Amino acid sequence: MVSKISVGLFTAGALALGLSSAAMADAKAAIEARQACMKANGAMMKVMVPVIKGQAAYDKAAIDAAIAASQKACGGWADWWGDDTKPGGAVKTAAKAEVWSDAAGFEAAGNAYMTAEAAVQASTDEASFKAAFPALGKACQGCHEKFRQAD
Amino acid sequence: MRTRSANILLALALIAALGLLVFWLLSMPRPLTAADIPQHTPDVANGERLYHAAGCISCHQPSPELKDVAADVPAGGAPLHTPIGTLYPLNLTPDPETGIGDWTDLQFVNAVMRGISPKGENLIPALPYTSYAHMKPEDVLDIRAYLAGLAPVKSPEREADITALPLIRRGVGLWKWVGLDTTPWQPDPGQSESWNRGSYLVNGPGHCQECHTPRNAFMALDTAKAFEGGPHPEGKGKVPSLRGLIERGRYTDAADLASALQYGEAMGYDKLASGGMGQVQRNISQLPESDIQAIADYITSLK
Repeated sequence: MVSKISVGLFTAGALALGLSSAAMADAKAAIEARQACMKANGAMMKVMVPVIKGQAAYDKAAIDAAIAASQKACGGWADWWGDDTKPGGAVKTAAKAEVWSDAAGFEAAGNAYMTAEAAVQASTDEASFKAAFPALGKACQGCHEKFRQAD
Repeated sequence: MRTRSANILLALALIAALGLLVFWLLSMPRPLTAADIPQHTPDVANGERLYHAAGCISCHQPSPELKDVAADVPAGGAPLHTPIGTLYPLNLTPDPETGIGDWTDLQFVNAVMRGISPKGENLIPALPYTSYAHMKPEDVLDIRAYLAGLAPVKSPEREADITALPLIRRGVGLWKWVGLDTTPWQPDPGQSESWNRGSYLVNGPGHCQECHTPRNAFMALDTAKAFEGGPHPEGKGKVPSLRGLIERGRYTDAADLASALQYGEAMGYDKLASGGMGQVQRNISQLPESDIQAIADYITSLK
């Protein structure tokens, strides 16, 4: 009898532990995916900014490749903002609580980014690229100002 | 026996009274007088430049209730959250009732450089008068002249949500003995003109040290650790060190930092938007290129 109960308790405990660590693994995976997406965006900026500054020649193929890499890394974006990925949770994040408290603002910032990125992607020559880029830079800046924590 | 304990009580009461008197005297505001204000013909263009260098709009932005007021008008009233409570920074437009239209130049200089209101109260040092104290009074008068030329906006003054505010204000008076260094900024003749301009902008109007220098047990700037970074004043996250920016690989050279200060994250300079630095960078971007380069020359010289 006793052993049955303890086996039951043990199973339940193991299950709970397994579930919570699975949840934590999900949160960790989501936060790491967010970071990988931002890293890809940073790499994309490193391709584009030197062209804007006149330090590198315009290269449409390189720009398109950087955008494609960013889109690949950021593909699951909408699924990465579960409540268990908020600041102060088990996994460290630079996201601010405003991502969740001002969800509409965060979505609008994301949409501004998507629109700007699409415009850069649609640009066909140096002039149209240079005209489209500032909105993309501003989208990075605007979102980080409101929704990313200081170091 | 009874007389003895009465005597002790009397002595204790006297000590307490003396203590209160000393607290009262030490915490009294020590304003500048008319004799400290130089004769000066205001230069509005310089005032506008210094207004941006001093980052006034970052805190004195219009309250969300003022829907028709542009975001770059310093009408004040937007809540400023601090660890001791919420402040509602003042309306800096020349409206005589709710702004500073009625203030004298001396009152303005005392508020900015000594943290003393026209009523003679100590201001909470969220207003960085601890840095502005090092400014040239002429520059402060120029900012005053620039503000006087703005269109007046009605923006009702709101008392800060701080517990025991009058006592806190007195406490600030006491704190000024350790926390307020009124030494005017001094140039370093061994350095370039640009470096010296940067040193003035950073340590005076720019008040960079207020966040980028850690504080000691008395909440005064720990000058031995100047620019080493520290906890974020809003309580979450950290403020980065400004020392060794090139040596640590954050920027390639002073021109790179100048470009970062001019364009911020919009040009891919990471970490210049978060933690309030986005507003700072926007203010700096309003300065002439020579001033931005001067700030970069000075900051990159900090090892």
